Amino acid sequence: MTREEVFAKLNEIFQDVFDDEDINVNENTTAADVDGWDSLEHINLLVAIERGFGIRFTMGETTGLKNVGEMVDKIMAHLG
Amino acid sequence: MSLVSAAFLAFVAFTAIVYYLTPGGARRWILLLASLAFCASCGFYSLAFVLLAAVTTFIGGLLSGPSKSRGLRNAACVITVVLNLGILCSVRYYGLIGHFADNLNKVFGASANTRTFMLYVLPVGMAFYTLQLIGYTLDCRWERTQPEKNFFRYLLFATYFPYFTSGPMNSYADLSVKLDGSKDAKFSFDRLRDSAIRIAWGFFKKLVIADRIAVVVNAIYGDHQTYGGLYVFIGAACFAIQLYADFSGCMDVVLGASHLLGIEMPENFNSPFLAHTIREYWQRWHITLGGWLRDYLFYPMLRTSVFVKIGDGAKKLFGKKKGKKVPTYLGLIILWAAVGYWHGGLMKYVIGTGILHCFYIILGELFEPVSVKLRKALHSEKLPYKIFQTARTFFLICLGHIFFRANNVPDAVMMYKSIFQPFSMSKETLASLGLDSGNLIVLLVSFALLVAVDIYKYREKQEEEPRLVLKSIASKPVIVSWAAFMILAIAVLIFGMYGLGYDSGAFIYARI
Repeated sequence: MTREEVFAKLNEIFQDVFDDEDINVNENTTAADVDGWDSLEHINLLVAIERGFGIRFTMGETTGLKNVGEMVDKIMAHLG
Repeated sequence: MSLVSAAFLAFVAFTAIVYYLTPGGARRWILLLASLAFCASCGFYSLAFVLLAAVTTFIGGLLSGPSKSRGLRNAACVITVVLNLGILCSVRYYGLIGHFADNLNKVFGASANTRTFMLYVLPVGMAFYTLQLIGYTLDCRWERTQPEKNFFRYLLFATYFPYFTSGPMNSYADLSVKLDGSKDAKFSFDRLRDSAIRIAWGFFKKLVIADRIAVVVNAIYGDHQTYGGLYVFIGAACFAIQLYADFSGCMDVVLGASHLLGIEMPENFNSPFLAHTIREYWQRWHITLGGWLRDYLFYPMLRTSVFVKIGDGAKKLFGKKKGKKVPTYLGLIILWAAVGYWHGGLMKYVIGTGILHCFYIILGELFEPVSVKLRKALHSEKLPYKIFQTARTFFLICLGHIFFRANNVPDAVMMYKSIFQPFSMSKETLASLGLDSGNLIVLLVSFALLVAVDIYKYREKQEEEPRLVLKSIASKPVIVSWAAFMILAIAVLIFGMYGLGYDSGAFIYARI
């Protein structure tokens, strides 16, 4: 998958998890930019991403991500 | 050795002098020697238990590292975690080893239920370092950090004396870098001044505020049959202030002492009583514990296949939006029960600092759609509504503190009942709370100072850096900052509580 394709799929997952079709994530999107992206919803988002892409994050990857760009880096690393 | 004592100040000063006179590379050894000496000063058993935890988690970390087979890594990690949590629960919370100790008491002729032996061996700091060291082993298993191969480097992380008794909690990845940086740390008078002010502020909070307001708390909780009605709330509010001044004062001493050595610790408090919601309160109170529980308990638990399946089932039953909340709420209940148990292993803690707060948070989540409409109607962006939110949150916290501070659950229930009893606010009853007018004025003025500092520090958005008074003072002429230190030091000497029965060692959280 190209980076653009990962972003497109990730955007669908975000819209689904946060129940908001207007969400449009980019490299610099952070939790502060998405309504409802808090510590409780974060884990639901990760589980949805794992399912959507058929990957499994290590526990070390579940925290400390600075923005969606870093999240895409991790996803692409898992996709090989 | 208590953190609020002349002995500790002398210990820090002596360690700092030797540390800065020692060439860079050898400073870690000075810190390790000082830390082991400090642990030993807390008692033989304190030293023995932390060494046991350090050895087991060090080996556990080595065997959990990525170079080993998956089976070995899992087994080593599970055994290390279970062993250390088992020791914590059985020693600290008077479980299995408590019963063994009772039998020992019998052998030595003492009454079986005096717990004499356990009081003697009670290890200091165990609740903090056990979680921190378990976190290291999990980090190795989850590949957040590389296993440390040098035991003495790891031992310094386990025993580092400023945070040994009460935290704040650090991850190995963060702190090992800072400890490595000790070789380049440079002494300066600015560093000395900042440390001195921070430590003096900690002493002030503990000795002038916490120990003074404790007199009122002890009077009300010691005789809750006399002090009913409004006194129950006064007692709970005073206890909340006591706990905050006590624990955050302790953290000021820890952070100040470590700053003197050039090793920065994370902040543990960020104006918690100005929070608008209970969730926000826990993001501002005991921050490093909250972070630990999120990273090592809550997230891993919710990612297990059991919780994912519960979520799938709940979505089919209740629909997608409500169903996905079910595993989250279940995880929160387990998390908060663990928080409560960690605070002391008794049901009053499980309720007062755990389940009750979980109930608040889940209730807040469930009523969020209604709250959104209400906030719009009541102009939540305006100051009066924000003040109402802060007062409401403080009130809810105080309700939990009735359980926290009461002797046991039945006493707490009686206190709740006594809220509805008739009470008198006469001069005599108020005087019987134990503080004369002079002490009351000192308390009110010092409390006002604490509130002012927290309001100055407060930032509504938590991602914004808090505004620290210390930094503002540091930017003023040297004479101003040293004057601030002198005023605090003199206030501690004159107004600190040093009366009969004074025990500066009795930090509330150091007993956890």
